[in-house]
Amino acid sequence: MLHIADLRASVAGTTILDGLDLDIPTGEVHAIMGPNGAGKSTLSNVLTGRDGYDITGTVAFDGLDLLTLTPEERAAAGVFLAFQHPVEIPGVGNMYFLRTAVNALRAARGSAELSAVEFLGLAKEHMARLDMDPAFLSRSVNEGFSGGEKKRNEILQMAMLEPRLAILDETDSGLDIDALRAVAQAVERLRSPDRSMLIITHHPRLLDDVRPDRVHVLSGGRVVRSGNRELAHELEAQGYASTVAAASA
Amino acid sequence: MIANGALIEFPTTREEAWRYTPVDEVMARIETATRAHSVSVSRTIVDALAGRHGGPRLVFVNGSYHAGLSDRDGLVAGLRCGPRSPSAVEVATASAAPVDGFIARNGAPDQDIAVVEVDPGTQAPLPVHIVYLATPDRSDPARSTISHPRTVIDVADGGRISIIETYCGLDGPTVTSASTTIRVGCDADVDHYLIQTESSQAMHVGDIRIRQAARARMRLTAVTVGGDIARHAITVDLAGTDAQADVAGVDATTRRQRHDTVVTVDHAALRCSSSQRFRAVVDDHARSSFSGQIIVRPGAEAADAHQSSRNLVLSPNAEADTRPWLQILTDDVRCSHGATVGRLDDEALFYLRSRGIPRRTAHAMLIDAFVHDVTGRVAHSSLRTHLDELVGEQTEKSGADRHDEPLDTHRAHPRLRRHHRALRRHRDS
Repeated sequence: MLHIADLRASVAGTTILDGLDLDIPTGEVHAIMGPNGAGKSTLSNVLTGRDGYDITGTVAFDGLDLLTLTPEERAAAGVFLAFQHPVEIPGVGNMYFLRTAVNALRAARGSAELSAVEFLGLAKEHMARLDMDPAFLSRSVNEGFSGGEKKRNEILQMAMLEPRLAILDETDSGLDIDALRAVAQAVERLRSPDRSMLIITHHPRLLDDVRPDRVHVLSGGRVVRSGNRELAHELEAQGYASTVAAASA
Repeated sequence: MIANGALIEFPTTREEAWRYTPVDEVMARIETATRAHSVSVSRTIVDALAGRHGGPRLVFVNGSYHAGLSDRDGLVAGLRCGPRSPSAVEVATASAAPVDGFIARNGAPDQDIAVVEVDPGTQAPLPVHIVYLATPDRSDPARSTISHPRTVIDVADGGRISIIETYCGLDGPTVTSASTTIRVGCDADVDHYLIQTESSQAMHVGDIRIRQAARARMRLTAVTVGGDIARHAITVDLAGTDAQADVAGVDATTRRQRHDTVVTVDHAALRCSSSQRFRAVVDDHARSSFSGQIIVRPGAEAADAHQSSRNLVLSPNAEADTRPWLQILTDDVRCSHGATVGRLDDEALFYLRSRGIPRRTAHAMLIDAFVHDVTGRVAHSSLRTHLDELVGEQTEKSGADRHDEPLDTHRAHPRLRRHHRALRRHRDS
C-alpha cells in the first residue's frame, strides 16, 4: 500500500530525512520508534503534505505519487494523520468541522453526503465507544480540551473518516493509563484487512496493547533496524543508543 | 459651504478622524456627481439586495421614498415610521459632535427623511427595516449619481426596538452621503444594524450619531462590505447615568476597496459602560482602517470602557490600520483596549485540509470563525444568515496571491499564536 524509497527532506538546508526506505503492505500495522530528532514527526508531516520542506525521493500510495498531491487530495486518497499536537481552532465548532470533513471526503470519493441526523447518529456512536461526552461536539475544535481529550478527538476523527492509511504521531504521549487504553482499543477496533497503520511512538507500552506486525527504528533520518514486536522490548531494555550502535556496527 | 448662516468646512486628512480617508477623491466625486432621475426598481431586486426580515420596511431609491416597495406590516400602536419632509422633523437628536460639510448637506429640502418614533414604554415586536437603494444614471454611465439619505430615530423612555438600516445599490458609480441620528430615552433598549452592501463602484460616507439617556441600552452592529471607498463615523454620547453601549462591526474588503471606520464613545455621565469590538478582513490590494476613540469626561466616574480591534490580512498587498485613541479625563475608570493584525493561522489551515476539507472551504471556515463573535450575536436568524452570506460572498471574491500560497510559514507563527491567544482571551471574557 505504502512504498517509500530514498526519501529525503530538509528545512532551510538542514537535512532531517536522509534516504528513508519503508514499505507497509495493506492491512499491516507498523511502528516507528526512535530518539528525539530522528525525523519521526517530519516523516508524518511529509506524508500528509505539510508545506515547508524540500523533498526528494518516492512515496507511492496505492499507485499514486503521494508527493504531488495537496493535503486534501491525500486525505481523499485515504491518508490520515492523528496529530501529535492537535490544533485549537476557536470559533469553528467541532461538529461543523467533523461533518464538513466527513462530507468533503464522501464527495471526493463519490458517495452521497450524510444528512445532519445521519452524521449526528454516527458521531454519537463513535463517541460512546471512545468514552467521550457528546458535549464535545458543541465546543470549538480542540479549544480548551485537555491533552487526553485532544487525543481522543483525533481518534474520533480517524474512526469517522475511515482512512486507508492511519498515521498516529505520538498519540500515546501525555496520556494517562485509562486514556491510553481507550486509544489502544480504538486502534484495535479500526484494524482491518484493507487498512494499514503507522504508529509513531517513544514508548513500547502502547505496542503491548496494539500489536504491530513490524517495528522500525528511525535514527538520523533513516530506518536503521527493522524487526518484529520483540524489537520494541529490546529497545526498552537496552535504549536507543546501543540499539542504533549495534545496527550501524 | 454655508449652512444656517455659518461657514462649514469640509475635512482634510490633517484632521485625526479623517486621516485614513482619501478626502480629495471623496470631495471630487461629490462635486461631480448629479442627482439621480427616478428609476423603477422591482420588489425582487430590493428583496435580493437587502433581504426581508419581517416587520415594516421603508424603501428609499436615490433618497426618495417608494411606497410601492415598502411594507407597513408589523406596525403596532406607539410605533410610527415613514418618510417626512425635512421641515417636519425637529432635530432633537443633535449631538455634541461637530457638524462637517457632509452632514450639513444632508436634509436638503427636497429629500425625504426616514423617521422612526417609538412612544414611551412601547415594545416593537418586529425589526423596522430601512432600505436605501442607490442607482447609477443609465443615460450617463460615466457620471456618478448622488443621494443624501437621512434617518432620524427617536425611542422614548422605556421603548424597545430593533432597526435594520441597509445601504445597497445597483451596479455603477453612485455616491451616498448618509446621516443617521438616534435618540435612546431613559431605560430604552435599541438594537441597531447598519449594513452597507453597495456596488463595487459606489462611494459611501456615513455618519451615525447616538445619544443615550439614563440607563438606556444600545447595541450597534455595523457590517461593511460594499463600495470602493467607504467611511462610517459612529459617535455615541453616553449622556445619562448607567447607560450601556455595545458597538461592534465587521469590515470585509477586497480588490482595491478602502474602508474606514471611526468610532467615538463619549462617557459624559456616571457609571456608563461601553464596548467596541471590530473585526476587519482585508484581502487583495484593499485597505481597512479602524480608529476607536474613548472619551471619559470629568464627572463620568465609574466608567467601564473596552475596545478591541482585530484584523485579518489575507494578502501581502493588503493593509490594515488600527488606532486606539483614549482621552481619560477622570479617575475611577476601568478602561482597556487591544488590537491585533495577523494572517490566517497556517497550522489551523493545514489541520482542516489534512481532514480532506478543500483549501477554499477551509479558508472560509477560518474567516467565518474570525468574525463570528460579531455576527454570531445577531438575534434575528434571517438577518444573521444574510450577514454571514454577505461576508462569505465578499471574502470569496478574491483568490489573488494569498499569503498561504507561496509558503512563508516560519516567520508568521509567533504572531499568529499571539493572535489566537488574544482571540481566545477575548471570547472567554
